[in-house]
Amino acid sequence: MKFNFSSFSKSYDKERLPRKKIEFIIDYLEKENFKVLFFLNEKDYLPNSKKINLFKTENINYSSLFSKNESVPFIRISKHFKSNLFQENQNPLVDISGHLIGIKLKSVYLGAFYLQHSKFKKEYIENLLEYFKHLIQSNFNEIVLGDKLKKRSSDLRNKKLEFESFLDISELLSDNIESEILFQNLLEYLVFTMNATKGIILSKDPNSGIYDLKASLGINDDLSKKILRENKGVLALLKKRKESLIQSSNKDLSLLSYSKKNCVLGPFMSGENLNGCIILYDKESRNGFIDFNQYDLRFFNSIVKKISLSYDNIILLENIKKSKKLIDNIMSSISTGIVKINLMGEIEYINDSAIEIFKFNNENLLNNHYAMVFEDNMNLVELIEFAESRNHILYEENLNILKKDRNETSINLTISPVFEEGLNSGSVISFEDLSDINKVKSTFKKYVSENIVDELLLNEGSLELGGVEQEVCVLFSDIRGFTSMSEKLEASKVVKLLNQFFDKMIDVVFKYGGTLDKIIGDELMVLYGAPLKKKNDILNAVTTAKEMFTTLDKFNKEIVADGFPELRIGIGINYGKVICGNIGSEQQMNYTVIGDTVNLASRLCSAAKPGEIIISESVNKELIGNHEFVLNEDLTLKGKKRPVKNWKYTHHIL
Amino acid sequence: MSKIIDKNIKNGVVIVSTEGYFNKDLGEALKEITDQEIKEGHKSFLINLDQSKIVNSIGASILIEIIEELQTVEGSLNFCNLAPIIAKTFKIMGLTKYCETYENEEAALQKLA
Repeated sequence: MKFNFSSFSKSYDKERLPRKKIEFIIDYLEKENFKVLFFLNEKDYLPNSKKINLFKTENINYSSLFSKNESVPFIRISKHFKSNLFQENQNPLVDISGHLIGIKLKSVYLGAFYLQHSKFKKEYIENLLEYFKHLIQSNFNEIVLGDKLKKRSSDLRNKKLEFESFLDISELLSDNIESEILFQNLLEYLVFTMNATKGIILSKDPNSGIYDLKASLGINDDLSKKILRENKGVLALLKKRKESLIQSSNKDLSLLSYSKKNCVLGPFMSGENLNGCIILYDKESRNGFIDFNQYDLRFFNSIVKKISLSYDNIILLENIKKSKKLIDNIMSSISTGIVKINLMGEIEYINDSAIEIFKFNNENLLNNHYAMVFEDNMNLVELIEFAESRNHILYEENLNILKKDRNETSINLTISPVFEEGLNSGSVISFEDLSDINKVKSTFKKYVSENIVDELLLNEGSLELGGVEQEVCVLFSDIRGFTSMSEKLEASKVVKLLNQFFDKMIDVVFKYGGTLDKIIGDELMVLYGAPLKKKNDILNAVTTAKEMFTTLDKFNKEIVADGFPELRIGIGINYGKVICGNIGSEQQMNYTVIGDTVNLASRLCSAAKPGEIIISESVNKELIGNHEFVLNEDLTLKGKKRPVKNWKYTHHIL
Repeated sequence: MSKIIDKNIKNGVVIVSTEGYFNKDLGEALKEITDQEIKEGHKSFLINLDQSKIVNSIGASILIEIIEELQTVEGSLNFCNLAPIIAKTFKIMGLTKYCETYENEEAALQKLA
């Protein structure tokens, strides 16, 4: 008899082949009515499909049984030995005519197999036994060697995985990545390489001494809310021992309470100081948790030492990045353009405002020479060259520059040399864009006092342009009898007189924070509370009106001396809601106010006689304790259904 | 932390999506599913590892067990959306010899369905 397994070799890989052969042999023998049983110390040697033929044995000394012959008739086996072969209630009533044959690997017995056939003669059986002994033994040898090889391959793969992880961790430590990401990656590498279930990395805050959670995996507790210090517990232990160690689970120590079995702890040491640590919890195996062993500790320690060496650099890099981010944020938030050039004249830094002022658009600015970057502005280039040659601070006001969009603007320029450890390392150029400031100033300075312009520029939020409703005090003044007077004077003299008059009046207006809305002929319209609302808008309007009279008194003395007739004015003031905003067409747009409040102020002005200020009820309410204004007769005004209550102040020329 | 987040069957392919650390727990949860599906006659499996970024050797060894089981029924275990670390671990653990990997579910289903 000879089995041909050549077709098997093609169908099955090396690992599965010997078990398949055993399966085939058993199938063959059973088909030929043999009873086949196996007694093995290791159940996995038999293929799964043939486990029914297996009796798992434990601590049986097969060597003594087969000391004389590797094949023993079952009848000759002692009762004691038989009872060891079968556990209670599992004896399958083995026929005593069968034989037990040892399965030996080198000099060690793996077990035995039993073969019995009721019909074949003894001589035939003995020959057959010899053949199957060799066949089964050789296949079991292959199984055992294959399993050993598989185990060693697996060990080798695990070692390779550790080695690869070690290399990956080394690479990670040299990568320029955010420390939070770096620590998380390090932890993940260590957890999966060491088959841990979870882990954490803590890092000491040098200011508070409290350990912050830098990375975690598999920990559900919010550890970041716990105060962890090195004066007690695990951190104190690590600080004292200064080396990696294995610790069993301990419910009393918070950092060890996450473990069910044991954990490995590694300190990040810098000399005598503990800077942080890494803890891995509970090693997994296929059969549940197992203890981290000394080999694990050795591998872990080598990595922890590597992290320790890099730790200072990681933190330093993190601090540098934080500082850079802070400076970038500051530089981005300021409206002043900043450019840093090095000694070679190359741009090392440029902030967003500088890019905006010059309208640079995706140009390659960094590391480019300033003469190239500012090639459209030779005046600027020359100033930088000059400042560089003199090595001192240079200021230039209202410098006109050409932006990349071909529009011009003016800037205030400062060029300052920069010194590092006493040596010049280049210059910082700062630009203050005057375009917006000039636009606003030129727009408003005709209408409001300089201090209001400055205040508006300082506090942009206070200025709301474009159709907002707000409460405003409106003052109208009008020269009485001006039309008839002007008819008697030359036109040029009238214009000159009016200009002088308005100069004086507007000075008073600006003195009390008024906004000159418009001049219509001989009439002035002034606002208090627009565009900028102030606390004493009404009082300021009334004070302005009163001072306009005293100023006019002085002015009249001057003009009378020049042969002009005296000017007399009447003033009306009202306070109430108006619509403020830039009103007009695209071609001409003016900041003004409209509404009933304005109309009433104008009507009150019309009703005022020369030397009189007429105020509305809303203005009078704000003048508590002021007895200069007296209740006047109700006025019937155009556009008003009911008579209007009003108060009157009469100016007496001193 | 580690869990099976989805299981569905498309054109005869059992697609299982995992989340988190592919360790013993997740490996065993997956094996439970594959054992059950194999019993029900399914032979083609696709494991979507998009939400799992790391695997340990115990997880990989369970995957080898699943592959062994599938080999006995002429089935196959396939993977998609492998993170670089997992792909490297699979290679070292020798898994890539016995399974196919795909860029994503669509690419895998085009081949497997």
